[in-house]
Amino acid sequence: MKRAGAREDAGLRTPWLALSGFLLPALVMYAAFTAYPVARTFWNAFHKVLPNGNETWVGFANLRAILNNDPTFWKAVGNTLAWALVSPVLEVSLGLLLALALYARIPFARFFRIAWFTPVLISYVVVGILWMWIYNYDWGVANELLRLVGLDAWTRPWLGNPATALPALIFVTTWMWTGFNMVVLLAALSSLPSEVLEAAELDNCGWGRKLWFVIVPLVRPTILNLIVLSFIGKMKIFDLVWITTHGGPLWSTETVSTYVYKRAFDWSTFDLGYPSAIAAIWFVFVLAGVLILTSLLRSRERLEF
Amino acid sequence: MIRSPVRTLAASVAVSLLALVTSASAVAQTKLTLWSHWADQDSKVAFVTDAVKRFEAKHPGVKVEITWYQKPQLYAALKTALRAHQAPDIFYAENDQTEYIDNGFLYDLSKDLNWSAIEPWAKQAWTFGKGTYGFPLEAWTVELYYNRDLMNKIGVTLPENGELSQAAFLDMVKKAKAAGITPIVQGVGDRPYPGAFLVHEPLLRKLGKADYMKLLKGELSWKDPRVIETLNYVKQIVDAGALPKAYTSIKMGEAHYYFHTNPGGLTFPMGSFYPSRAFNAPDKGGEPPNFPLGLMSFPAMDGGKCNNCKTLAAGGSFVVNAASKNPKLAVALLNEMATPEMGARWVKETLVQTGIKTDMSAIKGEHADYFKRLADASRGIDYFVGLPSQILQGQPKEVFAQVMNTAFPAGLLSVKDATDQMEAAMKAASK
Repeated sequence: MKRAGAREDAGLRTPWLALSGFLLPALVMYAAFTAYPVARTFWNAFHKVLPNGNETWVGFANLRAILNNDPTFWKAVGNTLAWALVSPVLEVSLGLLLALALYARIPFARFFRIAWFTPVLISYVVVGILWMWIYNYDWGVANELLRLVGLDAWTRPWLGNPATALPALIFVTTWMWTGFNMVVLLAALSSLPSEVLEAAELDNCGWGRKLWFVIVPLVRPTILNLIVLSFIGKMKIFDLVWITTHGGPLWSTETVSTYVYKRAFDWSTFDLGYPSAIAAIWFVFVLAGVLILTSLLRSRERLEF
Repeated sequence: MIRSPVRTLAASVAVSLLALVTSASAVAQTKLTLWSHWADQDSKVAFVTDAVKRFEAKHPGVKVEITWYQKPQLYAALKTALRAHQAPDIFYAENDQTEYIDNGFLYDLSKDLNWSAIEPWAKQAWTFGKGTYGFPLEAWTVELYYNRDLMNKIGVTLPENGELSQAAFLDMVKKAKAAGITPIVQGVGDRPYPGAFLVHEPLLRKLGKADYMKLLKGELSWKDPRVIETLNYVKQIVDAGALPKAYTSIKMGEAHYYFHTNPGGLTFPMGSFYPSRAFNAPDKGGEPPNFPLGLMSFPAMDGGKCNNCKTLAAGGSFVVNAASKNPKLAVALLNEMATPEMGARWVKETLVQTGIKTDMSAIKGEHADYFKRLADASRGIDYFVGLPSQILQGQPKEVFAQVMNTAFPAGLLSVKDATDQMEAAMKAASK
């Protein structure tokens, strides 16, 4: 019996060797391309990092300089936060509306699904060039349409005016990502239990009430995930700004990512400590933002049906 | 005795391999690497490539490998390559990139380059401390081009020296605007400096070279009455609608096309590298045939200390990597370009000035007339070497680009706001 038990223990023992063999490559990749760069960025943040191994401990000097003496950093933070707070609301609510339209089987639903999703497939570089043409003051589609309907007074250099540049770019990302949210929410709507919706209809629940009290609570986890994804995406936006405005005019579209890049590669210095400090501060901002969002938006009640 | 075929075969292979290795050693090559900007500028590519071929012919066993980039990508690649000790032997640089010198990345060319063929001001532009670090192949001045036909159309006659007074220049702007012509074409969509020509040339003329340099070094306040007076004048020009509405987004190539082709403009402040685009065929972005190109001066400032001053900039240059294994060979390649003959060839083929001693009025060929007019316009000129974007560093440079290059000429800032921002940036940098 004892011998049989021992044999059973031997059969149930965790095969650590095999596990390590399978996990090791992924762990090595993760360590090399994710964990080490993040750790190194935090390390750089507390040093002046010059070439040829010339690295000097500066303590919190970089962080103090950024937080106390860098107006451009705060301008970039303001722009990025504005983008990250406005965009998710626009993208997810518009995505939900479009998903509901497709769910309700509007005419030409298949065409609209492709049309609304297509912008998601275009790279930021192409989108940036495209919208620079659309926003061109002299011959861009936006101003030409305004002139056509007699609204000449509304024409502006959309990307050349500090008051309109950021909203113009927010519009672009909304145009680009609403389709993605639409597709995900459509999938969520399609997987809703039909008996719940039928029960609502039997109770003479109007469309608006059905949407607000039945559908939205059921797809709330999906909505939360999309909001968090959109928030994270806008907190690190770089490509669109770099192609269109380079952070101008007057830093009105400067984001933290573009500012980090400029400090690391555009300024006449090899010091990586300062831009690393900005990146480290922003990492904490983004993490805090995600935790706050998740905490605020998660459902406190279990849905029973 | 019958020989083993296997042994014979093995012996043959061994002998062949030995011959191969020996012959390979005999032609073992020294490789020099060169990274440069100008990837899309055929004439400059051709010039450098030809210089490389001449160098290789004179140095058998030396092979030069050139990689062409656009400027922003080159700078980003160099920043990482230099850190990783993988930078090329020779690379393109401009003289505002003092970080290369500060970190010991550049070889001192003081003793080895053929400086007798280089203009003294061009050598000075690359001299920092006791060393001189760059070969200033490209140079350019800030010019004010104009359309002669449109100038006639609005009824303005330029004086012999092409220089209007402040009042007359402003009047010219207003007349052009009233005639539906864009008075001053410019665009800052992809460059941090051309918009500021309208600001720094009048400032240079008003202040004179010494005080202008003090202004850029933070030793003269941006609130100085002469600075305010000059910027107030520039604001009048801006408020008269001088610049295109799409000023902040028009790119440099688009600005050229706007000026000479569609929709057309009266004047175009631009570096004297204007011909490198404009003298190409129209289908490659060049001027239409027989375009009535004129050269004038920026306005003479009232009470200006140096109304014959003009900004001269060292442009694209080549530097040698201090870590190069073959620095003398690298300098020899640069010396292949640093001759008066190559200087004249550079001007004739690229249509851009050079830091090499060259008599521009002696340039022959299709565009000889243009170079003669440029040489005439340069007579009696007192040059100030360096753009603000080359002299300013750090935060002041960034603020200058956003404020004086972009926002102020675009009419987005008042003189007070613009000077407040510059003053704050200079003070912060001086701490």
